[in-house]
Amino acid sequence: MMENEFYEDDFEQLLKEKADQFSMYPSKRVWHSIYNNLHPSRRWPSVVMCLLLVSSLILIGYLNTGENSITKQINNNTFEQTSYEIINQTNTSQKTNQKSTGTQYSGTYQKPPQANTYNNAFGDVITSESDFYTYTIVKSNRPVPYTSATVTDNKPITGADNNNQDIIQTIDTYIKSNQIFADIAVYTKKAESNAARSSNKAAPGNNSTNVNTENVISKLDAFATKQNSNTPEAVLSKLTGPLVKNPTTVSTAAENTDRKNEEKAWIENYALQNKTAAKKWKGRLGYQLYITPAVNYRKLTTNSKGSATPFANADINNSISQKPGFGFEAGVGLNYLVAKKIQLKAGVQFNYTNYKIAADESNHPITTTILLNDPSTGYSYSSARTSTTTNSFNTTAVQPVTLHNKTYQISLPVGFAYRISSHNNVDWYAGATVQPSYIFDGKAHIISSDLKTYVSDRSSISPWNLNVGFETYMNFKVGSYNLQVGPQVRYQVNSTYKKDIALIEKPYAVGLKFGLTKGF
Amino acid sequence: MLSGCLRNNATAQEALYNRFSPRMLGVCYRFAKNREDAEDMLQEGFIKVFSQMHQYRNEGALEGWIRRIIVHTCINILKKNKKFSDSVDISNAHSIHIREEMIPSIMQAKQVVECIRSLPLGYKTVLNLYAIEGYSHKEIAFMLDIEESTSRSQYTRAKSMLEEILIRKKIIQKPRNKTNFLGAV
Repeated sequence: MMENEFYEDDFEQLLKEKADQFSMYPSKRVWHSIYNNLHPSRRWPSVVMCLLLVSSLILIGYLNTGENSITKQINNNTFEQTSYEIINQTNTSQKTNQKSTGTQYSGTYQKPPQANTYNNAFGDVITSESDFYTYTIVKSNRPVPYTSATVTDNKPITGADNNNQDIIQTIDTYIKSNQIFADIAVYTKKAESNAARSSNKAAPGNNSTNVNTENVISKLDAFATKQNSNTPEAVLSKLTGPLVKNPTTVSTAAENTDRKNEEKAWIENYALQNKTAAKKWKGRLGYQLYITPAVNYRKLTTNSKGSATPFANADINNSISQKPGFGFEAGVGLNYLVAKKIQLKAGVQFNYTNYKIAADESNHPITTTILLNDPSTGYSYSSARTSTTTNSFNTTAVQPVTLHNKTYQISLPVGFAYRISSHNNVDWYAGATVQPSYIFDGKAHIISSDLKTYVSDRSSISPWNLNVGFETYMNFKVGSYNLQVGPQVRYQVNSTYKKDIALIEKPYAVGLKFGLTKGF
Repeated sequence: MLSGCLRNNATAQEALYNRFSPRMLGVCYRFAKNREDAEDMLQEGFIKVFSQMHQYRNEGALEGWIRRIIVHTCINILKKNKKFSDSVDISNAHSIHIREEMIPSIMQAKQVVECIRSLPLGYKTVLNLYAIEGYSHKEIAFMLDIEESTSRSQYTRAKSMLEEILIRKKIIQKPRNKTNFLGAV
């Protein structure tokens, strides 16, 4: 009772006082809405990050839909094939439950590693909803159940009995419906909020731990009634023995030790037989360092229209003195094993290309021309240049000089490698890459229109290009490393020069690749 | 904190919000139909507070200034939803049934607030504005687009209805009968 003596004059005063005392705490979404309204520009980075995260998750999920996928393990698992380690707290007075067929079911209850946060038929594995996938993999790979020595007449719980099989099937349905995990999540949160709970307190019989166990069991009850069982407890005990609904025993130190040993044995066995899904991507991903010393060649062609110059009509390759030059590629990359025999590769690579031209150095600059193409009409025309070197093809050079046509490139190779064969620690691979390239520096010596001189023009080099690479190599496994050795051919798709230059050069390199790969 | 809000500093804005939002939500809750509507009113109100912060001239308490904006926002939302105009009609008052059984048995201020909320929308709004927020009937009439006389009569009826609820719920006792100088009631 708030007011014993009340006067009407004070009514409004009362209302105001009590209304002013009243307050409520808003939910977080209110502030978030206000914030987003006041700072709209800050929303976009989070939207971008969300999109990136979702895309990454989708990609990871897609890449993991192979033969080792978790989903396939779950779907392939049949209830009859698993031998349950579902076990129960033994109680000698309720140890066995005789069925009409005479089959006995019993077992030993195994508490989860944490401090008894779980207490039902599935508590030996699952301690939180995040264990779902682990549980299902465990379920499909579980070894022969470990049974306590204290239990006599023990027998692996199998699906041999038809009635039991039905119960198992319905329980499986319950698991796969995910409702059990909603129940577990609710229970786990409640358990975590009670900081004072110890392992003994959570022993069977503690009503506070049964809050959600009741929920689980009630569902099992519903399934059990379909099987014409007498009572829910009888049904459950047929499968698992006496459960937590009315437990009477309390853990002893010896039983705790036994349970710990059982847990340890099971965990070790599981670790031995099963890969952990969390590190799946790491087992497939590796990084590579490589270098490819190579010899660079080139083939020249002309692209001219309407020109009568010697350049336009001659065989350029037989009109100049050129020699292959030394170059190399070096880079780092990532390899990802998408299938048993296929790797995807991507990385960053530095390229140096070079080939040589034999020429004769002149004592003074020479006025000359090079052939260019008019981009609007497509017709060729001669453009004036100066030169200090002459073509020494089929002549004896007075002052011989070697001109180096070279480029310095950065490439982003993307490709794949296919394992052709494998024997012991040696594999044979073949692969290909596409390499978008950026030429950030170089030297270019272009033959003149009359084929008599060379014009040096750095600006004639096109900054962007595309290369393709083909390789085959042997892969040697040495400890945790892989060594690769094998030949490689790298071919430039587009001309080195810009489109207005009538000369077309497409060099190619033949080299020997040495690589070192290690997994993450 | 105020200068930070004027500079559109998010930290300062959040601090101001955290300081005043509980009480302001209480204000909105008295006008709204439910908690969700109250939070919507609060959200819209605070957006206006921050966007009009430059208009605050340090005349009077900041809380009072914010409260006025919140109240006006609540009224505007009620008017916009067109739920309000029908409920102000006095002729409907007699047929209005108060769902007293919905008022939870909780203590102190929330009891009173819940009783206020149980009133019809028109009654509740006028009562909130006059008795609690301190607006005059003239101001209320202007805000709600009603006549001043309507506001007065609405308030009288709201007050008696609320009093009846509070007495029935035993939150307050029935006032003593007043007698005139002759001893008659």
